[in-house]
Amino acid sequence: MADFIRRLPVYLLLDCSGSMMGEPIEAVRQGVKALLSELRSDPQALETAYLSVITFDSSARQITPLTELIQFKEPEISAGGATALGGALNVLIDCVNNEVRRTTETQKGDWRPLVFILTDGSPTDIEAFNQAAEKIKSLKAANIIACAAGSNADTSYLKQITESVLMMNTLSAGDMAQFFAWVSGSIKMSSQSLDAKPGRAIQLPPPPQGFIVVP
Amino acid sequence: MGQIAEATLADGSRVPYVIKENPPRGGMKYTYFAPDQSYVVQFFNSPKVAKDPNVRKRIEAIIGKYNPTLSEQAGGARGNNDSMAKYFAARFCWPTAIITEPEFGIVCPAYPPNYFFSENVSVIPELSSELKGKDKKSKWFTSPRLRRFIKEQELGDFRAMVQMSISLARSIRRMHQAGLAHSDLSCNNVLVDPTTGGCVVIDIDSLVVPGVYPPEVIGTGGYIAPEVLETMELPFRDPDRKLPCTYTDLHALAVLIYEYLLLRHPLTGPKTYSDDPNMDDYLSMGPKALFIENPNDHSNRPQELNVTIKDLGPALEALFLRAFVDGLHNPDNRPTAMEWEKALVKTWDLLHPCENFNCAAQWFVLHDPQNPVCPFCGTRVKQDNLLRLHLKSPLRGRPGQWVPAEEVVLYHNMPLFKWHVLANTFPDEKADRSMMAYVCRYQGQWLLVNHNIQGMTSPGGSLVPTGQAVLLKDGAVFRMSSDDKGLLAEVSCGG
Repeated sequence: MADFIRRLPVYLLLDCSGSMMGEPIEAVRQGVKALLSELRSDPQALETAYLSVITFDSSARQITPLTELIQFKEPEISAGGATALGGALNVLIDCVNNEVRRTTETQKGDWRPLVFILTDGSPTDIEAFNQAAEKIKSLKAANIIACAAGSNADTSYLKQITESVLMMNTLSAGDMAQFFAWVSGSIKMSSQSLDAKPGRAIQLPPPPQGFIVVP
Repeated sequence: MGQIAEATLADGSRVPYVIKENPPRGGMKYTYFAPDQSYVVQFFNSPKVAKDPNVRKRIEAIIGKYNPTLSEQAGGARGNNDSMAKYFAARFCWPTAIITEPEFGIVCPAYPPNYFFSENVSVIPELSSELKGKDKKSKWFTSPRLRRFIKEQELGDFRAMVQMSISLARSIRRMHQAGLAHSDLSCNNVLVDPTTGGCVVIDIDSLVVPGVYPPEVIGTGGYIAPEVLETMELPFRDPDRKLPCTYTDLHALAVLIYEYLLLRHPLTGPKTYSDDPNMDDYLSMGPKALFIENPNDHSNRPQELNVTIKDLGPALEALFLRAFVDGLHNPDNRPTAMEWEKALVKTWDLLHPCENFNCAAQWFVLHDPQNPVCPFCGTRVKQDNLLRLHLKSPLRGRPGQWVPAEEVVLYHNMPLFKWHVLANTFPDEKADRSMMAYVCRYQGQWLLVNHNIQGMTSPGGSLVPTGQAVLLKDGAVFRMSSDDKGLLAEVSCGG
């Protein structure tokens, strides 16, 4: 029988700049691993969620295209270089345009993608960033949640991209693990869908303890 | 292992539990386990809910006078005896106590171990280890996409799915009988075990209790009744707002039974209503909801629909049409849980093993003896394996007159029970489930062996003592029991 199940595209935008070197990048690796394992054991998430990873340092690239969870292989990520967040947003725009299915006569379109951005600094490609942020906000093509990690992260830039900005105080393995657990909780909740009427903000679980929702 | 904490219960006693980071969290509550895993303690995500006096009142009533898993003597539901309490204790994860400290919460029994995945359940080794110890939510077994990942022996067969459906219908009937509504029945709140055909209803704390203000839940996507979805934007106390109640449970129950039996959602078809996916979902589950098998409107019907409600026999077909055509936007017309229970039990008696050893379903509803073909694989039952009993009830006050009661499709080694022997006997929670007789094919002949019936009579009118058998020949008529309520059986062989 044909499949009428809608997909939930999920994009992770991960900061792999030099400042993430060492423990933080290792924590990100572990976080992605835990996220995957957690989501695959949730039937609704496994049925609907598709995951992609975009990393950025001095430039940005999609290292894993939008993939069914069961096929998803953990990407190899390493840290070094600057923070091309603007570049990453441009990659995101392209990916969303190319990968997210629209509703047609014969197919059910995908849900609005969920995008999680994790960064520990501020963009080094300011011009590209400003343009991309503007574009993304006006597109409204995705639900974006940005997380500023550690004391060097500048939330004012993230606020230009989305209303939903979280701040975690440290880049410690514990905080990072909590962040990824929260991401998986958010994806699970979204994959159950339909808790809100169209047009309403999506519902996400309360952020982990110690995390601050930036107003 | 985490740190041990203690919860104080409403009666002052204390129970230990293990604090864990990132405890499992649902829409309403989060959960910690007992050190020996024999119970769980649950606290509410929202402090507002935890402080709401209505929530407390509701949970007190649920644990006490509405509790079908406790006998009346032990403080449970009125009229409930020990054996009924035991029966439902295995089918509900019913809260047992209120926690007052460190904050308001509840204690619930742990589910029986067969509702958790054990080792090596998936064809994908990593997934096996990820699933180990996780709840068996029904989606794993009803979604074709997910079934691919689960080993065949975990998936059960069609008969197990019918059994799960009976168990669920019975549990919901028991709730509704007491005036309780679950309010959030869904694939997440009913755990299933297709290997045994069992199911257990969980998340009992948001029940709608008579006389207490209802909980502010809407339900889970895919199981919310259309009228609830349509009015969810109205203020909670607006008289036009439709809140979860027994009628909305009946929508969710029908969706779950449809999913168990046909492995697809009854309202998810090819039709789209909007380019915006959220709007499309809202319309297709709410105001515009349309049954994929609607006989009058084929616009949401998938192209390939191999097994349909027709293949489930007339009793279930009629109920599905009522649930998803007449009753979809008209809650009063939805079949009750009791009707589902009765129709499913009737259908159970029409099950026949598929003669194709490789058939994934293994069983099907043999409702048309003229066309005894398994709808799942297309295999036809051999003519000399077709055998039915037409059971008839005695007409009260009119000796010698009979009215048709049940049809039973027979097969080798099939057990018969009290409800196949005596009129007005129903296989519910009060029933005696010991075997009374069984069907057996012996040296090319079909026999009904009397295992434990007093007064079984042969077609010739002589007594058939236990251990002896009646020869089942086409047209033979005999008394299942000479008791006043004993049924009359008429045999028919072939198509």
